[in-house]
Amino acid sequence: MPLRHPWRTRRLLATTTGIVALGLLMAGCTPADSNEPVGEPKTGGTLTYASGDAEPTCLDPHVGGNFPQALVSAQYLESLVSRDSDGQIIPWLAESWLPSDDGLTWDFTLRSDVTFTDGTVFDAVAVQANIAHLQDPATLSSTGYLALGKVTGTEAVSPTVVRFTLSEPDSALLESLSQTWLAMESPTALERSQDENCASPVGTGPFLVDSWVKQNAITLLRNDDYTSPPADAAHTGPAYLDKVIWRFIPDSASRYAALQSGEVDVIDNAQPDTIVQAKQSDSIEQLDSPRPGASNRIELNSGQAPFNDVRVREAFIRSANVDDAVSSLFQGTATRSYSALSSAESTAVSNPALFDYDPAAAVTLLDAAGWGETDADGYRVKDGVRLSVEFPVSTNQSIPAEQSVFEQIQATAKETGFEVKLAPMDLSSWYAALASNDYDAVSAPYTKVGPDVLRILYHSASIVPAPSGYFANLAQVNDPAIDELLTTAARTTDATERASLYADAQNRILEGFYILPLYDQQNHYLLRSDVVGLRTLPTVAVPTLYDTWLNR
Amino acid sequence: MARLQLPVLRPLRRVLARLGGAVFVLWAVASVTFFAVRLIPGDPAQAVLGGPGSQASAEALASVNAEYGFDQPVIVQYFAQLGRLATGDLGRSYSLNLNVGPLVLSQLGGTLLLAVLALALAWLLALALATWSTQSGRIASRVGSALEIVAAALPHFWLATSLIVVFSIWLGVLPPISTGGALGLVLPVLTLAIPLAGFLGQIMRESLLRALESPFVLSARARGESERGVRWIHALRHASLPAISLSGWAFGSLISGAVVVETIFARPGLGRTLLNAVTLRDVPVVIGVVMIVAVAYILMTLLTDAVSRLVDPRLRLS
Repeated sequence: MPLRHPWRTRRLLATTTGIVALGLLMAGCTPADSNEPVGEPKTGGTLTYASGDAEPTCLDPHVGGNFPQALVSAQYLESLVSRDSDGQIIPWLAESWLPSDDGLTWDFTLRSDVTFTDGTVFDAVAVQANIAHLQDPATLSSTGYLALGKVTGTEAVSPTVVRFTLSEPDSALLESLSQTWLAMESPTALERSQDENCASPVGTGPFLVDSWVKQNAITLLRNDDYTSPPADAAHTGPAYLDKVIWRFIPDSASRYAALQSGEVDVIDNAQPDTIVQAKQSDSIEQLDSPRPGASNRIELNSGQAPFNDVRVREAFIRSANVDDAVSSLFQGTATRSYSALSSAESTAVSNPALFDYDPAAAVTLLDAAGWGETDADGYRVKDGVRLSVEFPVSTNQSIPAEQSVFEQIQATAKETGFEVKLAPMDLSSWYAALASNDYDAVSAPYTKVGPDVLRILYHSASIVPAPSGYFANLAQVNDPAIDELLTTAARTTDATERASLYADAQNRILEGFYILPLYDQQNHYLLRSDVVGLRTLPTVAVPTLYDTWLNR
Repeated sequence: MARLQLPVLRPLRRVLARLGGAVFVLWAVASVTFFAVRLIPGDPAQAVLGGPGSQASAEALASVNAEYGFDQPVIVQYFAQLGRLATGDLGRSYSLNLNVGPLVLSQLGGTLLLAVLALALAWLLALALATWSTQSGRIASRVGSALEIVAAALPHFWLATSLIVVFSIWLGVLPPISTGGALGLVLPVLTLAIPLAGFLGQIMRESLLRALESPFVLSARARGESERGVRWIHALRHASLPAISLSGWAFGSLISGAVVVETIFARPGLGRTLLNAVTLRDVPVVIGVVMIVAVAYILMTLLTDAVSRLVDPRLRLS
């Protein structure tokens, strides 16, 4: 799914540099927790989680399907499979699975001891109801609907075996099903109206939705009958926490202040300045969990001038001093990426040599591409047209530090003669600008489990807009060889062969200078030191509070 | 005959004129808001489909367009919206699966409480500062004037974050975010009240000084009234008039300040609702919030009018 954290940090609210500096001075004043060794997990207590993401408009991630929904619903919904930290698919609600030789049918054997929190039994019919719900246009699903594109039907072979029928082999099926957007909900609950199901979806998870006061908080209670942790969980049986209060604090500085003062126990979307502050504090710890799928990268629109010329694309990339910008503006909290994929993906290919900062080479490339003349302002010109790069920036998705990185790139590219026109805009305007092809460069995060995200982002079929006008191939890569590699990889279930196909595709994308990778999609959590056992699901990198307990 | 009816007609006419004015303001507010939100880039259908950048299927998009009438020309949608508003129906939120009326009313209380408390506190602070700085000598006058100018110029977002750093992180006495209790109200109210107090204080001090130099104060003193009586009964009543009539405007500005304050302090309220709705192009919610604010503004103006009449007998005569 295209990632959006609409209300993460508003620039207006974040322009508080002086205050942050003051806060740095005072960070030493917070009382330090004792560093006692952590003992046996304690049961009980209420954990308050503060999200900087938008408050979902529906708590059922089948509807729409964005990151804010995944964050909270991972506490009460579970998927058929999960992924471990090595990238291997592991059992969850499904114990095992077996594809047919032609890859067109998959049999999933389900756990037989699981019930939803409304008492409904989890079985093959429940899985069928969920797939049908995701594929029903009335559900208005976006992420889950796309992920099931090749699934043509399901069949209950027995109460514990469900068979998926595909239109063609899908090597990404398990990765797709591991995502929280395709989690299993009670079929009884799904029969209610959409409004009801949005307010209180029912799953099999360690917590259940107790109440949701919009614009205030979601209250989750422990599921005392919980039996179905994923294979990589740290314990079995019910969760330790009695209750979770899930709040929304859009402003980064107040979110961190609330954590410092102990009003909340965990925050997400921690910004570089607060992460650096937290390092000085004894009572706050960090959890860094890059999101899966694509890296954060600038896509160069190869569908129109000036970036339809590979030499101009390379010149732009060589003229951008990204390393210095990232290290100074992210203050060591982000690592430079040279890959199209997140470092969370084991199939990621990295090629640093292609992205060296080399202004001299950039000048030579521009001369060769016919952009030899320079105008009075120092910008390159060809046939009377200035070498301009329209760069719409989503202020909802690009955090302040990232926007500053773009400004640094703008400044260094200017020395070579590029006029980078950064245009900050809100999310709706930004999507509108992309849909009308009003851009030469853009940074658009995309979260999906597994390397199949490459097909979504770089297959020529993704240049064709969705009915809403959205298209994912923003670099407008239109290369039959890449198409062929991605299509074949999506049908190849042999892991080694699949990885090699994706490696070839990535090399062609990187060598074509379609993208300028920056860093992983940042996903930092900060927590009070007495919050023990918090981890993120290695699928979509959302936290799970199942193993979490309070050492107080 | 005509002369006899006049005393009855005059208030009636005034009420009718007020009512007509109010309806005109509401219509104008609804129209400007509708076109402002619809003419900026962004597709409201995507608000229904889970937010901007939706990849919903063609069927889903078509059913949403048909259900909400997005396939109609904008002008048709405008009149449909106006028709609904005329019957008192604020419509249904595109993004929240809720009727706008109950939604907006449920958020009104929090914002109103914030605005009323902030207005009251601003008045108190401004009065205190104005009286102290006009009777305690030249240095006090300079200090008072400087405080007012600085306070009036403070941006809400800066003030809010500074207050959080000092009172929540440094002193640890007040929660940095809304906690539902009264303590959580202190910082948001201060954030809204301080700049407004600076503004009101400037106006009060100037008119207080002018009043103290007026002939009626001289004659009151000549009558042998105490200095306190002169200040509190005569001069202050005079001096508060411009501030009273400005309070209507101030109330409106407090509601717009609530957008920032509610976001920073994570308080539920109209301001946050409005911000989210604008971002998603959720037209019915934007119009609903703006209409409610307009109604509150109109009521507040009527109220300040009435209070002015109460304080200033000359207005009752005219």
